[in-house]
Amino acid sequence: MPEKKPAPVQTRTYVRFSFTDRLQHLLMLLSFTTLAITGLVQEYSLSSISISIVRLWGGIENIRTTHHVAATVLMLIAIYHLLNFGYKMFVLRQRMTMLPGIQDIKDAWFAFTYNIGLGKSRPQMGRYTFEEKAEYWALVWGTLIMGITGFMMWNPIATIRFLPGDFIPAAKAAHGAEAVLAVLAIIVWHMYGVHLKRFNKSMWTGRLTEEEMLHEHPLELADIKAGVARPTTEASALRKRQMVYYPVAGVLGAAMLFAVYGFVNGEQTAITTVPPQAPTIAVYVPETPTPLPPTPTPSPTPLPTATATASASTTTIATESATAAANLTWADVGPIFAAKCGQCHSAAVASNGLNLSTYADAMKGAQDGPVIVPNDAANSKLVQIQSAGGHFGQLSTDELAKVEAWINAGALEK
Amino acid sequence: MKWFSNRIRLALLIVAAFLLLVGAAALVSGADAAKPPQPVAQPASQDKPSNDYCLGCHGQTNLTKTLPSGETLSLYINPTLFHEGVHNQENIACVDCHTNISTFPHPAFKANTIRDVTLQLYTSCKNCHADQYNKTLDSVHQKALAAGNFNAAVCTDCHNPHQQTRLTDQQTGALLPQARVSIPQTCARCHSTIYNTYKDSVHGAALTTGNPDVPTCIDCHGVHNIQDPTTARFRNDTPLLCAKCHTNPAIMDKYGISTQVLNTYVADFHGTTVTLFEQVSPDTPTNKPVCTDCHGVHDISNVNNPATGIAIKQNLLVKCQRCHPNVTTASFTDAWMNHYVASPTEYPLVYYVNLFYKILIPAVIGGMLIFVISDIVRRVVEARKGAQH
Repeated sequence: MPEKKPAPVQTRTYVRFSFTDRLQHLLMLLSFTTLAITGLVQEYSLSSISISIVRLWGGIENIRTTHHVAATVLMLIAIYHLLNFGYKMFVLRQRMTMLPGIQDIKDAWFAFTYNIGLGKSRPQMGRYTFEEKAEYWALVWGTLIMGITGFMMWNPIATIRFLPGDFIPAAKAAHGAEAVLAVLAIIVWHMYGVHLKRFNKSMWTGRLTEEEMLHEHPLELADIKAGVARPTTEASALRKRQMVYYPVAGVLGAAMLFAVYGFVNGEQTAITTVPPQAPTIAVYVPETPTPLPPTPTPSPTPLPTATATASASTTTIATESATAAANLTWADVGPIFAAKCGQCHSAAVASNGLNLSTYADAMKGAQDGPVIVPNDAANSKLVQIQSAGGHFGQLSTDELAKVEAWINAGALEK
Repeated sequence: MKWFSNRIRLALLIVAAFLLLVGAAALVSGADAAKPPQPVAQPASQDKPSNDYCLGCHGQTNLTKTLPSGETLSLYINPTLFHEGVHNQENIACVDCHTNISTFPHPAFKANTIRDVTLQLYTSCKNCHADQYNKTLDSVHQKALAAGNFNAAVCTDCHNPHQQTRLTDQQTGALLPQARVSIPQTCARCHSTIYNTYKDSVHGAALTTGNPDVPTCIDCHGVHNIQDPTTARFRNDTPLLCAKCHTNPAIMDKYGISTQVLNTYVADFHGTTVTLFEQVSPDTPTNKPVCTDCHGVHDISNVNNPATGIAIKQNLLVKCQRCHPNVTTASFTDAWMNHYVASPTEYPLVYYVNLFYKILIPAVIGGMLIFVISDIVRRVVEARKGAQH
């Protein structure tokens, strides 16, 4: 401390955190918060709050990318912190004020007994109180755990080369639980310790007033005043140490950066995996042959109801036709008409006016004239229509031949 | 005239009251129950030619037409099967569907192909089955048809109206057991490859033995409004689809199958992702696996099947490698918990990690809270004392 005019007690301030300390804190605050938000929504992914946040973030893949970026930032901060620590220790040879000791346990005990009314006064503490040390080392522990388990989840294939497969779900369980612990600790311990108990601005301003120092770090204040808080080193010795430390730190830093690069980029297949292969199934493969009704080969089917008997006699007639070509009468063709034409050309329906159920009606013909011209099958409309084919009551070839023979034989009734 | 209009008014009132009753009954019976067909008004039955009149010609096997395409269209209706059909049993007349025909000769009908005939005639179904018909309008079949694929199924491809027997219980609307068993064969008419895969699957094989607990085609794909199963949405919905049965102890307990399969899947990295996709952006595809990626789609087998079952690590490894091609060791399959809930016997490491934090978190946070509260109390007490001075 340069001894100018001593400032009044209230306004005299002491450096507590350097600019880079504060920058580390700011970056860590941002990355921690980001990690907490994007991590906890994955831990509690089905709660409505999580789903809202995921939606706000543009989907779970964005959440994960953000989580990975924030994790990388935190790892870089950790590297810087380590190198910075090395500089303070090996080059500046500062006292390791953050190291925990028995005194911290005593301090904690005395603070607690004082709080519950059993002690006379608060313990007097140095540069870092037991609360601050607890928080710092909790952060170190948490970052280590999160880093290791995070690596396992980020690089599962590399991990199972050295460890059994169930370390991956175990890492996931630890990562999630540790996250909950860290966030709760920040809310309870950090929020109370530096925001609620007394709003401590030193992490932003970098300084504490003499009164604050007196209240919270009286032993450090005493050391400062005694001039033993920081070792004084000659410039030449300092330069000598720097000449050794910088190359070592450079190599270590490069190695750690390379490790982080491997951490982040080592295993892309587990993150942006091969897209799911759509199953290549032939969808439309009709059963072959497509089931069709029986093909229209002449096979008289027994018809339902009354016509069944008539159709039976058709068969008999058809077989006899070859032998009894001559002397055909209505008795020969009437049953054919009844079987094949009777549904439409019956007395009841008489489609198109034609009724083929009796000889007389058959000879009368349709509404537009006779359909049977005796002795002239070729000019008989019935034969013409049947010969064209495709009529609904289509006669078989044999049946039609018999009808033609009957007409050409005079279309006799008896 | 006044008398006549009164009659009409009365008739309208009766119709309105009837419709209200039907509507109320439909509401009470629940929207999902299959509604009985609602026939449109038909002329009095004596005006219609009888079904036997039509079968007089159409009951003949040789009744065919040659179409311009050269195809032979059979106009034969098997009388025996027709008489056993539900339409005949419900006294539906041929002309109730073939509404433009009342006698012979029939009015002109132009069709180039057999398919053309079907596509011209099947819309008759909507006259009675409007519910089902309207559902089909939203189906993948109808979309394919609209896009010009004339092979896409329409009503009559699945339900031959001349032979269709009763499918649902008239009281409950539930599928009759025999109808359920025959569903896959119906779909097989067009999807024979898939059917052949399905019938050998753990579900399909059980169905053929009459097991009512296994899904048929329609349990996953729906019926009438069948959706495209290749969409991202369908894929993202898959876990919930399988869960419909696989979280139901009434079905699963019989076979000793865990009902924790959905919980354990969702709790895992893959399941969490898919569930969030399903919740947040159901139409966005994700490469994280759903049930079918490991278990198969139509070829789902028993997980303990030595050849295909994925309870065997080497079989599961093959599935893992589809997305993680760099994986070579079967221990990778333990990187996911295989639907187990961690316990001292299954995934003990996970179980003890959880146990450790179950103790550590309350201990640490509890300790912090005790100290913080003691500190607050002390400071409040001191502030009061200070104020008194």
